[in-house]
Amino acid sequence: MGRKILLIEDDRETASYLAKGLNQEGHGVEQAANGQDGLFRATDGSFDLIILDRMLPVLDGLSVLKALRAAHIETPVLILSALASVGDRIEGLECGSDDYLVKPFSFAELLARVNALLRRREARVNPTEHRLTVGDLEIDPLSRSVKRAGKKLDLKPREYLLLEYFARNEGRVVTRTMLLEQVWDYHFDPGTNVIDVHVSRLRRKLDEGFEKPLLHTVRGAGYMLAA
Amino acid sequence: MPTTLRIALLAGLLALLSNLAVIGFIYFRTHDEAVATVHQQVIEQGKVLADVYRSGGQAALDDALRDTMNYADPQTAIALLGPNGHEIIGNIEPTPATALPLQEGYRNALIRLRGQTTPRGAARVVQHLPCCQWGGCGRIAGEGVAIRDTLERSLLIALVLAGLLGLLCGMVLAHYVGRRIGDIAKVADRISGRDLSQRVPVSRAGDAFDRLGGQINAMLDRISRLMEELRLLTDSLAHDLRSPVSRLRSAAHAAAEANDPREQEELLGSVIRQADALMRILTAVLEISRSEALTGRKQFNWFDVGELAAELAEMYDPLAEEGGASLEFDRPARPAPLFGHRQLLAQAVSNLIENAIRYGSAGGEICIRVEPGERVIRIEVGDRSPGIPAARRAEARRRFGRLDSSRSDEGAGLGLALAEAIAHLHQGKLMLEDNAPGLLTILELPVHSQQSRAA
Repeated sequence: MGRKILLIEDDRETASYLAKGLNQEGHGVEQAANGQDGLFRATDGSFDLIILDRMLPVLDGLSVLKALRAAHIETPVLILSALASVGDRIEGLECGSDDYLVKPFSFAELLARVNALLRRREARVNPTEHRLTVGDLEIDPLSRSVKRAGKKLDLKPREYLLLEYFARNEGRVVTRTMLLEQVWDYHFDPGTNVIDVHVSRLRRKLDEGFEKPLLHTVRGAGYMLAA
Repeated sequence: MPTTLRIALLAGLLALLSNLAVIGFIYFRTHDEAVATVHQQVIEQGKVLADVYRSGGQAALDDALRDTMNYADPQTAIALLGPNGHEIIGNIEPTPATALPLQEGYRNALIRLRGQTTPRGAARVVQHLPCCQWGGCGRIAGEGVAIRDTLERSLLIALVLAGLLGLLCGMVLAHYVGRRIGDIAKVADRISGRDLSQRVPVSRAGDAFDRLGGQINAMLDRISRLMEELRLLTDSLAHDLRSPVSRLRSAAHAAAEANDPREQEELLGSVIRQADALMRILTAVLEISRSEALTGRKQFNWFDVGELAAELAEMYDPLAEEGGASLEFDRPARPAPLFGHRQLLAQAVSNLIENAIRYGSAGGEICIRVEPGERVIRIEVGDRSPGIPAARRAEARRRFGRLDSSRSDEGAGLGLALAEAIAHLHQGKLMLEDNAPGLLTILELPVHSQQSRAA
């Protein structure tokens, strides 16, 4: 893939661990250790994604974000933060970030979100496809109808939204919290496996009776829709 | 300078100033009056003598003067002077002053009475008479002056006394104020020394000091209650974190020792799960304290509680079904608009639903209902679990207050405490009631207070 990512993070250990992981995924990573330096580098607008720590020396993350958005730099921003309360997350999103990830997080979670954001950027640049296809699965977002191997699937509204989100992130890992945030728009962490139950219901309708499963479980990370 | 001394000096100074004003008033009044009296008497006497001369001539005047000298009080000075200043009749020792041509009219002068050694201050009236050179009478103001002198001396002593007494009063006052404040300060000192059980002594007088003491005591009561709550919370947090941490530790240890890669992977997965569970506990505790501190209010918005409950019912329906229960949602007849924190309220309601599923699935039926009222919106979650006896409901809503002592399952016992904290954020309350049979949890949220807050 090979994207340019700006990582603004003052904790050296976290930064080098993230940079290493993202490099292995084929992304170019540039680092900044404080808010001012980060803002300076970000202003040339050449990055595909900015990963921004919320608590930074010199200039805090939210100020960097506000300054960027005020300068009409629309590079997607993923905020990393130890501030975990629902209010903090919402504040972060309201400041113009595209995603918000609470520390500590698994690298799989970060990677899934990074890929989703890069993908969204791509979708923004390219004209949106009217029809989503994954293998023999066809989704028509306008009529919200779903067919697999030509056979119409009868999905409930929420199941359709789940599937559409999976399809828009085809071949990429989607985590449970991403689903909760994107499909349900809730920013709290449920204490139950309620998301898994929904996914397994969707899977039953999607894959039952077909030889090749489309909806896969990725251990320790989440799910992936792939042909 | 110590405060007590300052108060004493201030009180003394104030007493001195006010007494000075009173004494000054007395002094000037009495002074003027004494002089005015003598003045009046002398003028009148002069007029009488002049009348006597006019009606009876010199002989009558002589008689009148002699009578006056014999019978009038010894302070009266009287004289008839010849053309060259010598005395014809009178009781005045001639002085150089009397030898001079005298001016007619009233004035103050020094007069020496016959038989006395020193001249004394007197009021004097001189009149020109045709028979002889001058006629005159005077009155030694000695008596009045003596009274005035005594008065002046007494007033001076009174002034000094007033100053001293004022100082004394000030000291008593300062001592009293100091003692009352000292009592409060002593308590504050001991409290800084970590003894929160101290209280300010309150007398029954009900004065300002008592009110201050009462308020300080009420504040201390609240502080110690909060401290106690905080202590309980940290204790239970530490206690509750022990078991997941020890599970985490043993899983990590086992993973390190495992030889089979598949077993190792399994164990590492468990390590991550335990770490996530720990994070969830910490996040929930944080969320509770945030909500109790009312920090989330700036993220309030209008939304329909009925819609929210419907969404959550739909979300949890499959989970309830897996547990063998049916989840019913009573859609309200009309919208239930509320100005509040949609995300946090969603979390509160989902906690109630998760509790119902966790403990009430066996009962078979879980019911969610929204009742939009005039003043409050009620969100009810009812299950058919064995319920919670009334006596233990307070315990259930406490942080970490799980009624079964086994703490191995997923929930950290924070669900109800968080729901209650979120209800408080919305100025509402969480109620636990009997669903006959089962448990009915109710979030009651006022509508108007938040509307006015928004305005």
